[in-house]
Amino acid sequence: MGVAQKAFYYLVHPNQLRSIIQWKVWHEPVHRRDTEDETETEKKCFEYLDLTSRSFAAVIKELNPELLMPICLFYLVLRGLDTIEDDMTIDIKEKEPLLRNFHVNMEQDGWTFDKNGPNEKDRDLLVGFDNVITELKKVKKPYFEIIKDITIKMGNGMADYAVNAEHNINGVNTIEEYELYCHYVAGLVGEGLTRLFVESELANPQLLVRADLTESMGQMLQKTNIIRDVHEDWVDKRRFWPKEIWSQYVDNWDDMFAPENREKALQCSSHMVLNALKHADECLFYMAGIRDQSVFNFVAIPQSMAMATLELVFRNPAVFERNVKITKGDACQLMIESTQNLRIVCDVFRKYVRRIHKKNDPRDPNFLAISTQCGKIEQFIESIFPTQDPKKIEAAQPQAQPSMDKGEAFMLVSAVLATLILIGLMMVGLAWFMGAHMDKFFLRLDEILGDSMRKPTATPILGRDEL
Amino acid sequence: MVSEKRPTLGSVMVIGGCGFLGHHVVRVLLRDYNCSVSVIDLRCTRNRRPESDNVAYHEADITDAAKVESILSKTKPDVVIHTASPPAQSNDSVSHALFKKVNVDGTAAVVKACQQTGVKALVYTSSASVMSDNASDLINADERWPMIRGSQQTEYYSETKAAAEELVLAANRADESPNLLTCAIRPSGIMGEGDTMVLYHLINILRQGRSGVQVGDNDNLFDFTYVENVAHGHLLAARALLLTAATKTIPLDMEKVDGEAFLITNDSPVYFWDFARSVWAAAGSPHGTEHVRVLPRSVGMVLGYLSECFFWAINKPPTFNRQRIVYSCMTRYYDISKAKKRLGYMPLVSLDEGVKRSVKWFLEQQEASKKA
Repeated sequence: MGVAQKAFYYLVHPNQLRSIIQWKVWHEPVHRRDTEDETETEKKCFEYLDLTSRSFAAVIKELNPELLMPICLFYLVLRGLDTIEDDMTIDIKEKEPLLRNFHVNMEQDGWTFDKNGPNEKDRDLLVGFDNVITELKKVKKPYFEIIKDITIKMGNGMADYAVNAEHNINGVNTIEEYELYCHYVAGLVGEGLTRLFVESELANPQLLVRADLTESMGQMLQKTNIIRDVHEDWVDKRRFWPKEIWSQYVDNWDDMFAPENREKALQCSSHMVLNALKHADECLFYMAGIRDQSVFNFVAIPQSMAMATLELVFRNPAVFERNVKITKGDACQLMIESTQNLRIVCDVFRKYVRRIHKKNDPRDPNFLAISTQCGKIEQFIESIFPTQDPKKIEAAQPQAQPSMDKGEAFMLVSAVLATLILIGLMMVGLAWFMGAHMDKFFLRLDEILGDSMRKPTATPILGRDEL
Repeated sequence: MVSEKRPTLGSVMVIGGCGFLGHHVVRVLLRDYNCSVSVIDLRCTRNRRPESDNVAYHEADITDAAKVESILSKTKPDVVIHTASPPAQSNDSVSHALFKKVNVDGTAAVVKACQQTGVKALVYTSSASVMSDNASDLINADERWPMIRGSQQTEYYSETKAAAEELVLAANRADESPNLLTCAIRPSGIMGEGDTMVLYHLINILRQGRSGVQVGDNDNLFDFTYVENVAHGHLLAARALLLTAATKTIPLDMEKVDGEAFLITNDSPVYFWDFARSVWAAAGSPHGTEHVRVLPRSVGMVLGYLSECFFWAINKPPTFNRQRIVYSCMTRYYDISKAKKRLGYMPLVSLDEGVKRSVKWFLEQQEASKKA
């Protein structure tokens, strides 16, 4: 958008502009990174963070100092792995051991990697990876072990996918495969983060027992991205939507993007949204286990964004034509609402759930399933923040007013009307008595209306009896 | 053999076993349990199982206490499932008398007969409406919410169901017969094959071309329950009562089934108009939501009031009134954690599947009656 276009957009969408200004002006980070005492390598790491992450850099930098560096490094290590995995110019024979042994390399002082193709956008990170390694050495042992453990799992997972020719040609087939893929790319990250939160005592240790909650956090984020990016991935000849779902709507994947199949494609996308929404209540439950404000913001912002994105892509044909994303104003509004408390995040979820259900189409085969899923999320929110209290309802009962029957209501309304009419007549009568020339008014009326009223014999009779 | 794995229920008597819910209870009993089944109903011609199922049918009016007792002393059931109740459709003095007679007096007769004939477990079909005053919202309500009784309860049907539920629960381990264990099931918005209320009204609205009006904002959640799930809930309760009877110790409060009421739903509250639209879509409506006009609740209330005044003036019962507006705008859904924990209840059939099956049945029925 050009500047003029932007100005016009905000002129007609003042709320968007308001949210942006509100966020920029009033947002007060819980923790501010102290840049004064930072070493060169630390500075370098944050530079890489800004370079490689669009959405996470800001929230990571506001984290509790205890976890600031570990999570920043965790992110960079995973981003490093990702950069190797994504690069199609590296031969698979070289790529596989690199991925599987990344956790070894990340402990070797001075290790760097410069064999990425020139177009790989994050290649600089691996070229200067020695900075990350230096910082990793300073991380507390338990945190480092968690980072290392996830790196091993993630590296092996990526290597498995890289050598899996079937996956590379045909993409994801079953829903199970789809969720396994999401587990490797997002669920594992979630596992690492939860372990870091609990280790630093910033989250309830129960979250380790309920590993399914952590998994849901990752699944919902990843599935949302996969649904949103469907067009971009299609252009890049990649497919993550499971065949088990799309084959119910079209015969070939490419048919999804043909304009004549738009309704089928929309039904398929609502199936995908339904599949993603099943994680929403567990995400809220997970967030209830966070004990630190900065960590809460860190986990809540992406989740709210995901919920808003699901609403945006739901029954939106544009998804099959171009990239869609939530507006900057909405993003700022979501960040404001996700950096307070669980109750407000619940309100955000409910707001978007209701918007989804408003867009739901009865002709869609997933109509009722989506509606009940929305209801389920609302019910879950009620269960953590109940609106009604049975004790209060019980206490309030005897005071309830008996309702009025129709006859009584009719009499009441008649009595009010009769009183008004009587008072009106009395006022007119009084005015006449005190000398108002009402006959003039009626004569004039008569003149205007014609000959229909000859003699003014209006109301004043009332007053005369009293004389 | 499959039947060996099925839980046993001994001899089971289903009162109202030819009715809408009752015949599904009989069907699920024959399908999922090891037991012998008998039925008491006013008339045993409709919804009758084939001879090969060996269900013993007895015609009796449950308000005839002597008759009920004589049948129970002959069939000697271990379990009685009492589902009999007149349909809650009308609200005039004639039906009021019937509600009182069948729901309260009839249930009292059944309770007495159970006590006299050594029945071990009695499960009574109450209603989730006993907690509703038909005007206020019930938001994620559970069994702790109070019953709405007497002058607060504007639906006399619900008043009689509540009274009957109290009778049944009071009979649990009562002095007259300490071995009789009882509980009550409170289903919400039952629909399914054989339903002549929810589905009938909704499909009528579609046929009359009135599906394009929506009163209220449609953010209100409502619990509808597929009938097979309700039947399943009853039988889980019966099974739990028998297990309690078999153990000598009195169960802890937190796991008690006897003497308790349980809400049963599909565990999927749904937006009121979305449910209606899913029924209409299943019945072949080609519409999405583009043709829908939204009538705000307040406007609906004024129209309903005017209609009531008009019908009051001509001295006839109104067909369109404020209560209908209130119902379609009311939030009324329940938390069924208690049934999940203590009965191990989970719906067998999803709401989506339930709607499809029920509407299919309804359309087939209509086809058949057209031909006849």
